[in-house]
Amino acid sequence: MRPLRPIERSTELARVYVWEWPVRVAHWVIVGAILVLSATGYVVAHPPGRWAPLGTVKAVHSYAAIALTLAFASRVAWMFIGNRWAQWDQLLPVRRERWRGLGPTLEWYLFVLRKPPGYVGHNPLAGAIYTLVFLIELLMITTGFAMYSVSAPYWSPMHAFGFLGPLLGGLQTARWLHHAGMWLLLGFMVHHVYSAVLMSQVEANATMESIFSGYKFVPEEDVVSPRVRRATPPSP
Amino acid sequence: MREGRQGLLAELERRGVTRREFIRFCGAMAAALGLPGGASAQIAGALRTAPKPTLVWLEFQDCAGNTESFLRASRPTVANLILDTISVDYHETIMAAPGTQAEEALARVVAESRGQYLAVVEGSIPLADGGVYCCIAGRTALDIAKRVCGGAAATIAVGTCATHGGIPGAAPNPTGAVGVGEAVPGLRNLINLTACPMNVENLTALIVYYLTFKQWPPLDAERRPLFAHGKLLHDACERRAHFNAGEFAEAWGDEGHCNGYCLFKMGCKGPVTFYNCPTIRWNEGTSWPVQCGHGCIGCAEPRFWDRMTPFYGHLPLTPGIGADIDRVGLAATGLVAAGFAVHGVTSYVKRAAERELPAEKSVPPPDRKGNGP
Ligand code: HEM
Ligand code: HEM
Ligand code: SF4
Ligand code: SF4
Repeated sequence: MRPLRPIERSTELARVYVWEWPVRVAHWVIVGAILVLSATGYVVAHPPGRWAPLGTVKAVHSYAAIALTLAFASRVAWMFIGNRWAQWDQLLPVRRERWRGLGPTLEWYLFVLRKPPGYVGHNPLAGAIYTLVFLIELLMITTGFAMYSVSAPYWSPMHAFGFLGPLLGGLQTARWLHHAGMWLLLGFMVHHVYSAVLMSQVEANATMESIFSGYKFVPEEDVVSPRVRRATPPSP
Repeated sequence: MREGRQGLLAELERRGVTRREFIRFCGAMAAALGLPGGASAQIAGALRTAPKPTLVWLEFQDCAGNTESFLRASRPTVANLILDTISVDYHETIMAAPGTQAEEALARVVAESRGQYLAVVEGSIPLADGGVYCCIAGRTALDIAKRVCGGAAATIAVGTCATHGGIPGAAPNPTGAVGVGEAVPGLRNLINLTACPMNVENLTALIVYYLTFKQWPPLDAERRPLFAHGKLLHDACERRAHFNAGEFAEAWGDEGHCNGYCLFKMGCKGPVTFYNCPTIRWNEGTSWPVQCGHGCIGCAEPRFWDRMTPFYGHLPLTPGIGADIDRVGLAATGLVAAGFAVHGVTSYVKRAAERELPAEKSVPPPDRKGNGP
């Protein structure tokens, strides 16, 4: 395929530092942890034999789980201390401006709009989906802790999470939820990598590179001061 | 029978239990209860003088499996005798008195020993349609449970039906069957001695604990005694080393099965079941299901009939779809990928066509349709 010509913009592109390093580090630690957790988790559910001793596989799963939990917690904390594109309201579409933006973004994905509405950070639809992703990660952590706590060494503070099992409907139910959550995350990943590539191609704003470097290239008209941006719909 | 009450030891001696057997029994009870070594002497001391507790045994929607467990004896052990020497004043299956006489015995205990007797409940209590699905002597199970358990020093629900509704309470639960705790909320000292059936060693240990310490042992969130349900079965299983090493039976009768490998892949629910089955075992400690080569089906967990099925599968089926979660997950992920492939091609084609048009001069605002020149 010939590389596509990006949509032309009327204004100059500005280089904006969007994703601060905690956001990027958390993203890649979470990605790495999910890949390791899915592989080891699948092995735990369907043990292939002696070459993959479950004692070891479960230990690897637990270490990756620690990485995931810490990265998740730091990203959630950053939702309250980070820059405006990292804030929680960029994910949960509760503010009117974000809520209203959901429709046009979806229309763009469905080819009704020819150009994507301009957003510097996440578009509202992506933000809403990332909210779900963080919730699924929370589900994985909750059900994982419920399963881990009951077999923790007797001195371990992890026993404090033993109360989660009955709340989740017993460990067998927790195990099913944990397993189903893995598929939701893998399904999301397919969609997510595709959209990142699409966005990079179409907007030519370095979306793909941004999660490595932190910088995006956006039309100057889309970069407005936070006060203005919060108060008015993101129209030029 | 209440006049003739004496210390348990006297009764045991009359039945020919030697001192040595008695001491060994007390040691075994201390071990089952997870108590330190010194507790054995304390138990022996208490049992010597303990009065025979009065006990009534109610049966509702049950299969008498717990009664079976209670009575099972291939040789007379001290434990059997302890249970024998309890004054069982009412037990439909084993009492000699029939009909009205039997009901009078129950009424007498409730009236005369108020707040002192132990009520054991076996079987679930149906709540649907006013409780008509289980009536004894013209009264509903719920009515009897309220009256008898309400006046007891403690209620011991035995077996999964009495604790959580069990098999009568499994979906679709036509009779609205529930356990005692749900049917009669707020009962004093309710203890859920669950499993299908409960293991009589645990009932004996529970009663010994009560006679020794005049109180009930610590319970978990499901009101199950921690000494019996505090630990994951999988963590006490003798096949656990095979699990850790990745050695599994893959089919009934295959090499791994004959070698006594872990039964995880045959659907064993040990990793999600809290019970001391592997340590106390069945039939005087002879064996237990995993030792016999069959996976655990999780009978000691609430609502196991709904939650632990399929018994020979690893996970429950996907609700509403009925298939294995891995198939559903793989199919869904494939669909997502296919959907985006279509989207990608459409996107490419549309924009390739657009290239022929003159470029637009402004970025459309998000609330206006951007298509058409
Ligand atoms: C995105 C993150 C995660 C994924 C994709 C994942 C995946 C899995 C899968 C597929 C299983 C097998 C479930 C089954 O038996 O069918 C599993 C088991 C388990 N996971 Fe995770 N997991 C994740 C996070 C966690 C976390 C945060 C913990 C926290 C401690 C955790 C702890 C466990 C434990 C204890 C088990 C049970 C192992 C056993 O059955 O012996 N997991 N995981
Ligand atoms: C299971 C794996 C993944 C998960 C759960 C995940 C999750 C996320 C989340 C939650 C965000 C939002 C960033 C934030 O606000 O913290 C994000 C952004 C991003 N991710 Fe991932 N991601 C995964 C894998 C990947 C992979 C494999 C790539 C690259 C090929 C990637 C590329 C990106 C890009 C480019 C962004 C920025 C998108 C934007 O500007 O809106 N992600 N990801
Ligand atoms: S047989 Fe069952 S309980 Fe025993 S180690 Fe294997 S999975 Fe665990
Ligand atoms: S092995 Fe499991 S299902 Fe079988 S009796 Fe023991 S606890 Fe119940």
